[in-house]
Amino acid sequence: MPAPTSTGQALVEESVDDRVARLERRFGDPADPANPLGFRALLAADERHELLGAAGELLDAEGFGAELVPAALGGRLVRADTLARFLRPVFRRDIALGFGHGITSLFAASAVWVSGSPEQQRSMARLLRGGGRATIVHRSLAHGSGLLAGEVTASHRDGGHRLTGSKDMVINAHRADAMVVYARDDPAGRPGTGTHSVLVLEPGQLPPGRLLMLPRKATNGMRGCYFGGYAFEDCRIPDGALVGAPGDGVRLALRTFQLNRSLIPAAVIASVDTVLRTAVRAALAGRGGGIGGRHRPLLAGVFADLLACDAMATAALRSLHLVPEGAHLAAAGTKYLVPDLLRDDLEELATVLGATGYRRDGSPGDDERGALSKLLRDLPAAGLGHAGTAACQAVVIPQLPLLARRSWFRAAEPPDAVFRPGAPLPPLDLGGLGLAGGDDFLAAALTATARRIGDRRDLGEHGFALKTLAQAFTGELWKLHDRCREPAAGDRAALSSPEMCALADRHALLSAAGAVLAVWERQSGADTFLADPAWAVLALSRLGGRLGLALPGPPEACVDAVLREAVGRFRAGISYDLYAAPLAEEGGGP
Amino acid sequence: MTGGTARQAEPGTWEPARTTVAEPILMPGIDGPWSKVRQSVSWRGHAVVHGYWQQWLPAALADPELRNLLGSRDWQRFSGLTDPEARSRFAASRLMVRYAAGAALHVPPDSVELAYKPGGRPYLRGCDQVDVSLSHTKDLMVVGLNRRGRIGVDTEVASRRVRYASVERQLCTPTERRHLTALPEPERERELLRIWTLKEAYTKALGQGMRMGFSQFGFGPDGTTLRTPDGREVGEGEWSFGTFWLPDSYLISVACQDAGLESGGDTAVGTMLDEGFLGEVVDLLSHRDGR
Repeated sequence: MPAPTSTGQALVEESVDDRVARLERRFGDPADPANPLGFRALLAADERHELLGAAGELLDAEGFGAELVPAALGGRLVRADTLARFLRPVFRRDIALGFGHGITSLFAASAVWVSGSPEQQRSMARLLRGGGRATIVHRSLAHGSGLLAGEVTASHRDGGHRLTGSKDMVINAHRADAMVVYARDDPAGRPGTGTHSVLVLEPGQLPPGRLLMLPRKATNGMRGCYFGGYAFEDCRIPDGALVGAPGDGVRLALRTFQLNRSLIPAAVIASVDTVLRTAVRAALAGRGGGIGGRHRPLLAGVFADLLACDAMATAALRSLHLVPEGAHLAAAGTKYLVPDLLRDDLEELATVLGATGYRRDGSPGDDERGALSKLLRDLPAAGLGHAGTAACQAVVIPQLPLLARRSWFRAAEPPDAVFRPGAPLPPLDLGGLGLAGGDDFLAAALTATARRIGDRRDLGEHGFALKTLAQAFTGELWKLHDRCREPAAGDRAALSSPEMCALADRHALLSAAGAVLAVWERQSGADTFLADPAWAVLALSRLGGRLGLALPGPPEACVDAVLREAVGRFRAGISYDLYAAPLAEEGGGP
Repeated sequence: MTGGTARQAEPGTWEPARTTVAEPILMPGIDGPWSKVRQSVSWRGHAVVHGYWQQWLPAALADPELRNLLGSRDWQRFSGLTDPEARSRFAASRLMVRYAAGAALHVPPDSVELAYKPGGRPYLRGCDQVDVSLSHTKDLMVVGLNRRGRIGVDTEVASRRVRYASVERQLCTPTERRHLTALPEPERERELLRIWTLKEAYTKALGQGMRMGFSQFGFGPDGTTLRTPDGREVGEGEWSFGTFWLPDSYLISVACQDAGLESGGDTAVGTMLDEGFLGEVVDLLSHRDGR
């Protein structure tokens, strides 16, 4: 694809910025109790176990469904990173709304975008553009919680497919206009080597009485979402339902989940933005407008974490376009690490805002505390808990021995644009994504950036701290390298060990460090907050702490610089991410 | 929608497994009985283990791999301790965590890596199916394990004398103070100790240690429910609390969460990597490798 001209680029970016800003504006100030789309209304809906109807109507009015449809099929989905930005105004208000009224349809439809027939694609595109919903019936996953337990089986006889079995928890089961089913192939008549096939169905076209709706299940997290279920009873499937080839299911999931795994963390960063904002407000309300004591490193640290999470998620999203053969590693690492970091951040913020979980009764600060309590419930559900992280480990762990032998300290750096948020991208091509193998581009970025900054003399007062951290992470990658060379790539017993799980954890932390260093380096030289190493030093110190590196604490001046920016963005109503987008809030006064 | 039965609009309320906290299991040494821990984690979702460091010490000192076993951060902390008793307790407690975690994960104890979050919360690196907490005082060590959510444990010598008047404002909410003031002296001290250790356990479960103000939240008179500072019961019952007085004058308080993601009970490492994904990736790599 030819590189867009700089004016063309400016136009594209402007229109994305405009669309994100308009959605944000139309949602209005979430903290305003009178706002029908604010926290008070959203929490009340959550207590009624509903999604806020008015919020869904706004998304429909904004043509949200078209954001999920590739441009080639008449929608607006061209770039994964801009879709994530569009999701942020939704997720900063309500994760359940984001899933229940939003991206679940994309996760279902993505198999059709990759492998569907032209007719399947046209039909799905028409459905989503018109405001319809698609849902996904997952296969059973190892250690699957209620959300993932159970499985549907497909048998092939009498010249057609039949489905049997049930799935207890399917989001939007009651109102889905289409469902994408990952069905286990009956071992007796299994066609290829694969174990699962993907089918796209419209409930209305199934024979009467063969698909039963199971009752709605109560959940602790995302309780506004409707988790129903399906039971298929020897249900004959219309011809033309198979997506791709028989037995393609697991490979299709490995391909399309790369998008989910990058998008969910990127969107959820905005949910924590809201809580950090509330905590900054609360801390400022204390001693005469200044933040003191233990709140300083805490608030600065959470802001640095959000920037680190965004660096990693943005790199993963952009790698889907720019490093299609290696994006699976970054996507799995992001989905593994970011929700965990964010959950810890929420728990830290809870110490500023007071204990959570109270029933709302209209007392001051009630809505803000309620939003935090709700988020602490919603976040584990959104990340699917342990089963969600283990699914990512299952992708990363078998690759570690090969990466140690072939990629780390050898592979070339990825294209520069991976680490430049907002820069031009070729259109998203999910079908072109690799499933395994490929180089570890975040590790390559870590070692290359660390080498360069080691030689720099223009890094200012935090330069020494940054160099020390970069060296420490490079040293840690060497250790990982030495420990991962041992197991043979195919030795499944050796792979399913706590040692390998711990090494995958270290790998995710090193990947995040690579993203932080590389994103910072592309900004440096400018006269902006992101160009100052302070945020990178603070973020890397925290990642280093998790790795157990013996490092001095971050310089006080770094904490001060990051905190100053956090307060400045709070007062100006600017988002806590790499994009510094304007928010609907008034901000916090002078 | 064809084939659909009438849908149920009201899901009812999600009910956490708000059972009582499991009784602490005494673990005299590395030989167990670990099956009790596995059983408790599997059936009840959590387990609380306690032991005495003197009984564990020989095993800790005999371990030639102590440095590896402790890992770099714990080894550093261990090496920095000068008091011999503190060193012994530290080494023995880390050994007990590993054995307890190994039992819950169905793996050898030395294969588990104990790591720490920035706020100090311990976790099992790479194995987030089980949350851990650790506490020790004098001779006693306590480990909590939970597969349904966070867990925090705290222990104290039951006879510890705390002057109520000097700590009440720091440790208690107004409602708790009213409750405690009305009690006769010995009972008041006992209740104060319970409230204090429960608050330690809860904030440890949240990963915040002492960073959370203890007068910002309280407990009901029976010590099993979370309350607001003005005494209202907290709405969502994700948390269970319990306090146990051991016969030999220690008490153990436990805060145990059910986050609502029922995992089916399997916490083994050997089964956690999805066979579909793992198998496919292994196949793809071996094809690429030409094997």
